[in-house]
Amino acid sequence: MLDLLQNLPTLTTLAAEGADAAQSAGMTSYEFPGVGKDWMGLIPLMPLISCVLCGLFWFLGVKSKLPAFTTVLFLGVSFVLTVAAYFQIHPEGLVQRVMWFNWLALDTASEGGGLYIDFAFYFDSLTILWMLFVSGLATLIALYASEYMADDKGPGYCRFFFAFSLFVFAMSCLVMGDNLVLLFLGWEGVGLCSYLLIGYYFKKPSAVEAAKKAFIMNRIGDLGLLIGIMMTWTQFGSLEYSEIFSQIADLNASGEEIPWAITIIPYLFMIGAFGKSAQLPLYTWLPDAMEGPTPVSALIHAATMVTAGVYLIARMYPFFVLNPTALAIVAWIGGLTALLAATIGMAQFDIKRIMAYSTVSQLGYMFLGLGVLTSAGGAFHVFTHAFFKATLFLCCGAVMHGFAGQLDLRKLSGVMKMKGWGIVGIAMLVGCINLAGLPFTAGFFSKDMIIAEAFVTPGFGLLGWIALLTAGLTAYYTFRVFFRVFIGPVEYEPGDDHHGAEESQDHHEEEAHDHGHFHPHAPGWAINAVLAILAVASILVAGVYFMGDHGGWAGSMVHDSTAYYESPYAAHDGEAHGSPALFGLDPHKAMYYISGVVALVGILFAWFLHLAGRKTAATSRADALKVKLGPIARAAENKWYVDEIYNAIIRVPLLVASHIFALIDKLIVDGLVDGAGWLPRGVAKGLRPSQNGIFQNYATGMAGGLALLLIIVWAMSMTGGSG
Amino acid sequence: MSLILLSLMVLPLIGAAFIAFNKAEWAKWLGLGWSLITFIWSVIAALAFFDWSDSGSMQMIFRREWIPSIGVDFSLGVDAVALLLILLTTLLGPICMAASFTAINERRRLFYASLLVLQAAMTGVFASRDLALFYFCFEFTLAPMYVLINLYGSTNRQAAATKFFLYTFTGSLIALAGFLYTGWKVSLWNGGLWSFDIATLTEYASRMSATEQTWVMFALLAGFAVKVPLFPVHTWLPLAHTEAPTAGSVILAGVLLKLGTYGIFRFVLPFTPVAVLQYAPAIAILSIIGIIYAGLICWVQRDVKKLVAYSSVSHLGFCVLGLVALNSAGMVGSVMYMVNHGLSTGALFLLIGFMYERYHTRSLNEVGGLASRMPIWAFFMVFFTLASVGLPGLNGFVSEFLCMLGAYQSGATWGVGGTAGPLGPWFAVFAATGVIVSAIYLLFMVGRIVFGPLQEPADHHAHEVLPTDLSVREISTLAPLAILCLVLGVYPAPLLIALEGPVAETVAMYDEVRANSAIAEAPPTVDTIEGESVVLLEREDLP
Repeated sequence: MLDLLQNLPTLTTLAAEGADAAQSAGMTSYEFPGVGKDWMGLIPLMPLISCVLCGLFWFLGVKSKLPAFTTVLFLGVSFVLTVAAYFQIHPEGLVQRVMWFNWLALDTASEGGGLYIDFAFYFDSLTILWMLFVSGLATLIALYASEYMADDKGPGYCRFFFAFSLFVFAMSCLVMGDNLVLLFLGWEGVGLCSYLLIGYYFKKPSAVEAAKKAFIMNRIGDLGLLIGIMMTWTQFGSLEYSEIFSQIADLNASGEEIPWAITIIPYLFMIGAFGKSAQLPLYTWLPDAMEGPTPVSALIHAATMVTAGVYLIARMYPFFVLNPTALAIVAWIGGLTALLAATIGMAQFDIKRIMAYSTVSQLGYMFLGLGVLTSAGGAFHVFTHAFFKATLFLCCGAVMHGFAGQLDLRKLSGVMKMKGWGIVGIAMLVGCINLAGLPFTAGFFSKDMIIAEAFVTPGFGLLGWIALLTAGLTAYYTFRVFFRVFIGPVEYEPGDDHHGAEESQDHHEEEAHDHGHFHPHAPGWAINAVLAILAVASILVAGVYFMGDHGGWAGSMVHDSTAYYESPYAAHDGEAHGSPALFGLDPHKAMYYISGVVALVGILFAWFLHLAGRKTAATSRADALKVKLGPIARAAENKWYVDEIYNAIIRVPLLVASHIFALIDKLIVDGLVDGAGWLPRGVAKGLRPSQNGIFQNYATGMAGGLALLLIIVWAMSMTGGSG
Repeated sequence: MSLILLSLMVLPLIGAAFIAFNKAEWAKWLGLGWSLITFIWSVIAALAFFDWSDSGSMQMIFRREWIPSIGVDFSLGVDAVALLLILLTTLLGPICMAASFTAINERRRLFYASLLVLQAAMTGVFASRDLALFYFCFEFTLAPMYVLINLYGSTNRQAAATKFFLYTFTGSLIALAGFLYTGWKVSLWNGGLWSFDIATLTEYASRMSATEQTWVMFALLAGFAVKVPLFPVHTWLPLAHTEAPTAGSVILAGVLLKLGTYGIFRFVLPFTPVAVLQYAPAIAILSIIGIIYAGLICWVQRDVKKLVAYSSVSHLGFCVLGLVALNSAGMVGSVMYMVNHGLSTGALFLLIGFMYERYHTRSLNEVGGLASRMPIWAFFMVFFTLASVGLPGLNGFVSEFLCMLGAYQSGATWGVGGTAGPLGPWFAVFAATGVIVSAIYLLFMVGRIVFGPLQEPADHHAHEVLPTDLSVREISTLAPLAILCLVLGVYPAPLLIALEGPVAETVAMYDEVRANSAIAEAPPTVDTIEGESVVLLEREDLP
């Protein structure tokens, strides 16, 4: 066995091979990764250790907050290391690789040297960009969750942080993996953690159902990714980014025709991305995922996991820019999803679901950005969105925590004015102005980068208008929540569900009696501190737009990676680059004014309909509008009946088919086996009436089954025509 | 000459005899102790006496003349594939014993002795280097399994046992005809001298004409496809699984089904390459139908044991698909699948058995939400379900991925990574939909039985011996399987490399057949082969 281990490729030889290959190919456009510092391998290890420790605490029956602080500590270390890695990689735009061990090996004896898939991590600036907000936000949200989940201390608490840490590990593998299979491990791993955490309150049938739905819908996307991976392997004989990208670079340099397989691969990856990032037609799982505890919604279903699809396309951008059709599909799916989700979000009453639809909508913007050739804009929006959306979700969580699970915006009002809710209110306001895209906020700049590009890239003008309309709707529904819940007359009605819902079923009646003397409990230090930090960070993120030369700091991070593509239509902010003008102005400048106005109009509508003259929590001027809109409003409130449609055209037919198959199996496939025995049994009876025909019965039946097999095989071979 | 393999066969037999002549109360301890000793011995043998760097060649060879008049030897030897499956057998032995302590209360001596005899027979199947010995052991597995189902199963056990026996027995009789024809044909080229040495047969069998190969292939498949089981000859399995006692189900899913895939790997592929090349797409299509069809049937099962049984049909489809991809990725993946499926599905049957002991029902309509009653049980249930779903990081993914990849590459003529082969991307694409189907039915199962509001049968009473959640004994049957699932998922590389050796020979053989048929445009006929290469082998020359 030892020999085997020694035969595995070591870090040094692999790196040396990489360097050789790069030299011999005379590559200029793609640089093979150098050897990274060993400590960089600790970044994904930290959450893994934390996960193992929480599992241990679970096993040992720890009933304190120990798992939470363990998680915060290890994730914090991981974040610090990520920052250190940033300074290691970014200034010179290095690409580095750190190896853990060899995971899969195939054909090692063949002349080509076989194929090795390693547990190895790939560091370029795109990786770092993602890891910075993943590990940073994960640390903060773990701290928040230490208080939020405090009612569940014991097995549930340990289970929560176990899955939480496992999620961060899987996300690290997804983002940092140096090959597509490790990315796939992370991809499915985050899906698993999402499943476990959505279904955290596992006694609630709705939570179990939502968890299942999320996992299965993701799997549909994963199918595309999986086939894409197999196709990539077949095409390139490798799954490592370094190898794939250098081959693509060679291909570009050679000017040869692009093999058809390479033009197919983007479509397959796209399916995966749309599943994970909740885009049309696979978005319906995300709103349901709000059944999970709110910190989970904030981290997984808003800030990090759902951006994995954006990451996948950004990482595989060299494939996408080779196929304009694929890019156009990405753009259109993104734009349409943004609009559709915004229209649904406008009509919901559950504030967490509104935020969920807004996440779907904002993710749509990111895909739109990728589709119109501004990967920098897409990545920047991912970055800013991570901060302000996490803030928004955590504020909703604080409200939910304080008001016994109340999330209906018709039953809460003026929360900001209550004692102890000031920080929550201010953080919420910060999140809202970002999401609404009020001028000079981070969300404003990142959204503008995308919308402006949509206008200047030929063929996407209509999408630009859709994106602008959506921006207005976004401002409206965002401030609808703020005006209804956080300001206005003070009024509240507690939820019927204590969020430590482990016992929820048993306590329903008790809670009902409790309503008379319910007192909302204001958030404690951990929640307030995290909200304050996030609110400040959400504002400060705007500043990175003015750093660096390539469309802000995020742009320069993208610029140093393979995700960068110099769009021929790029509107260079502030430079007269011969770039197309929009309404006689530099497109970005024009967009500042236009989208600023659009956002303000949206907020004005929200103010008029939901704040001005509102006397109670439950009613507002919007009610009259709703009556006028009639069926349209109802359809939007019912999510345009998309779930029902999917159920009717996919789930039900599949279920019917399954029942039919089960019946066929029983009556025909097995029945043939049993039933074929009746004939010889009859014959046997006639000949030897005394004998029990069971043996002949089965033996002949068996022969019947085999005959069926032979007939099928024969028929297939005949149609195959291979003779 | 090495006695190790012989000892692995004989040890359980001695144990069985020992149990038979001792008190019934001791039977379970004797059975557990004996199978543990066998397991430890097999691990030592695998680590110390097997040269893993030469994993493709037969090692630990033992050979005695048995029936010299017809050339039958008692000949043993293993390569990495056979050794791995033997290790799986010896591992599941003690686990099955320990899992039956409270479940089996009558005729205990017969039960534990049968398990040991079954283990000896299964070891013999994998260790045989002589076809006659292989066939003897192959058939002999039926007897103890029949006893286990017929005497210790649940209500409908007799019908299930009979069906199991007759279905597989009839199949293997047809396979025997195929074997005999092959043996006769080789003896013709061998100057009338019969030999059942598998290596000799492998060398000569592929010289049969295309028509002969086709018939032989179908005959052998009749035996092995039933065992796997491949759609549409799978219907004995759900019945047998549902009625069998827990230990029987574990062995059935863990090892007995692998006799089929192992048979295809060891005999069908090397004996009849021309026919396999021609019919591989058809076999692959049957596998894919099985993957999707059986998977969808799982979804509407309400008997949880039947659900897992049908999932075996679905999963084994991947295994056969990988085999007929006829390239390294597919075949290595397939062998891994044999082991991985044994671990994860075996564990699922254990878990269902533990639940059944407590609630006396397997119906998803009667029990549910057990996570709140049995958290440890729930943890394992979710863990092994995930292994079964093929979550990366656990064992199922590695083999499933490789099987699909093998099917994809096989016959992909573009790019750097394609290999020659009879299948192609579409096979992998359709098989991959099985990944979604398996998520649907397995999460449905977990969503009902583990999660959701607690539901227990109305007349439920606490078990008189067993605790509410799993006992230490029960946990210790599951923990080793869980650890192996994790290890094989995270660090399968050494095993994958070791499995390349045994697979490489078959792959090379197919390359040669392809090259030959490319030259001749038609498969070589018997005459030309007989004309150029009749080699008279003396019995002494045999390896």
